[in-house]
Amino acid sequence: MIGRTILRVVGPLAPCVVIVVAAWWLALEAFGISPLVGKRPPQVWEYLTASQAHREAVFGALGITVRDAAIGFASGMVAAVTVAVTFVLFRTVEQTFMPVAMLLRSVPLVVMTPLITLIFGRDLPGVAVIGGIVVFFPALVNIVFGLRSASPQATDLVLAYGGTRMTVLRKVAVPTAMPSVFAAARISVPASIIGALIAEWLATGEGIGAEILRAIGGFRYDEVWADIVVVTAVSILAYAVVGVVESLVLARFSDRPGAGG
Amino acid sequence: MATFDRRAFLRTTGLAGLALGLAACGDSGSPAGSSSGGGLGAVKLQLSWKKNVEFAGEYFADSKGYYKAAGFSQVELLSGGGSGTSVESGLATGRCWAGLSAPTITAPAVLQGAPLKIVGATFQKNPFAVISLSKNPIESAKDLPGKKIGVQDSNELVWNALLKANGIDEGSVTRVPFQSDPSMLTSGQLDGYVGFVTSGPVRLRMEGHDATHLLLADAGLPLVAETFTVTQETIDNERDKLKAFLTAEIKGWKDAVADPARSAELAATVYGKDQNLDVKEQTEEAKMQNELVVTPDVKANGLFTMTPELIEQNIASLAKAGLTIRAEQLFDLSVLDEIYKADPSLKKPA
Repeated sequence: MIGRTILRVVGPLAPCVVIVVAAWWLALEAFGISPLVGKRPPQVWEYLTASQAHREAVFGALGITVRDAAIGFASGMVAAVTVAVTFVLFRTVEQTFMPVAMLLRSVPLVVMTPLITLIFGRDLPGVAVIGGIVVFFPALVNIVFGLRSASPQATDLVLAYGGTRMTVLRKVAVPTAMPSVFAAARISVPASIIGALIAEWLATGEGIGAEILRAIGGFRYDEVWADIVVVTAVSILAYAVVGVVESLVLARFSDRPGAGG
Repeated sequence: MATFDRRAFLRTTGLAGLALGLAACGDSGSPAGSSSGGGLGAVKLQLSWKKNVEFAGEYFADSKGYYKAAGFSQVELLSGGGSGTSVESGLATGRCWAGLSAPTITAPAVLQGAPLKIVGATFQKNPFAVISLSKNPIESAKDLPGKKIGVQDSNELVWNALLKANGIDEGSVTRVPFQSDPSMLTSGQLDGYVGFVTSGPVRLRMEGHDATHLLLADAGLPLVAETFTVTQETIDNERDKLKAFLTAEIKGWKDAVADPARSAELAATVYGKDQNLDVKEQTEEAKMQNELVVTPDVKANGLFTMTPELIEQNIASLAKAGLTIRAEQLFDLSVLDEIYKADPSLKKPA
């Protein structure tokens, strides 16, 4: 079951990688971008295989970025789930805070970052806040929608048997919301990487988000492209992992065998 | 199956976005040097920074029509300072025809195989400094360990050179991401930052803060700055066009040196109008930068020229930064020599 699910989700990634690499190469050739700036796949491969120092530079930065993205993803998703549950349990809270949340959302993160770093510092708390903000809002909207789509009949049944609103939430709303939670998680995986890159660029000064700009400053475009490749690969991989987990969890919660969101 | 379709769609749109992005980059490359008007057409000059008084000579050359008189229908001044606006990548991809850069940025590009050369230097002395507040001063390289220093990504190599030249371990100084906002200094987020000595200290003083600076030139790194960087192809095949351009630049900079107040006005009210520059502050900056632009050697040999000794010093500074490059790989002052030989009157101040 698990093996088949993995194959089903990961299988299509192979042609996808081929297409992305081909498009990367073709686009650079088609627009005549100088190989000094627009590195081709073989140049990136050569860069990564040429020396241990290159690999350390790229994968060292990647490790930090993955950690930062994980922190942002976790803090954003936890916050989104918590707030979504509160919203569903207490309608007035939602009516009061949703507009405020959306208002905050419309302030560009790049503008807010100096303020965030002043308040939360430039270390992990700052990363958690910046990454969390990127993940939080889309996740919140999705999860609230999911919790709301609980079937009225099932809700009535639980209430008729003397269940409380918490029981309804636990027995009906949460299982119903699972596809939405995973949809939110899937959007949030690439978003959390973007959030980590922003935090690294503007706040911490380490990881891919900082190194990539330093590499541009130092005209190390092979490192720039290698950074792009590894961060994209991780993004796709993480997306696939969420896909596998999603299929497995939904199979358990759904009456349809192995249904995917 | 629905899942896969949605994912495939995401991938495709991602690719489309990528292609569009690249198309936008590709587009801007073609028109350079091919439009109608003056005999030499229109060219783009990529500046090293946002439009402030650092480019006063260019503003004069444009507003007084020196570029036009030289035969250019237009010299478009492209604002710099952001990531992705480096002169070297612009020249390599054809996005600009010439640029104002620095040896620490041009040298690595040349070492990576970009056929680029520096043909003149506006700032004879290194304007880079570590700027700090007098109440928490950084006066010598020895003061750096343990400090939080703001360094822009484009100054990556200057910064590394400073550390290497003074034998300071990279890990002993905390490098903080920095865009260009000296207020990070006054709010205590930074102990110092790397910037032009001509701009930051003046601005801080105007805001009522006493500022100190450590010139990189005094910390073992004499370097020229605001260097005219072009492709080897331009030197070989468009030599007369390049001469015409540099002649207009010489005239513009002669005016700029002679009139700091007007330089500031052009920067604050015309070219850099969108940046809310203060005329008084910019005037102070213009006066200060004159000392970096006009040296005794420049008085004798003309603006932008570099003596063999100065070139040697720059090569030595680059070597300290780990950039081993020969003078003839990076510098070609022959174009400027020919200009001054043909018209020695250009050497005289305006």
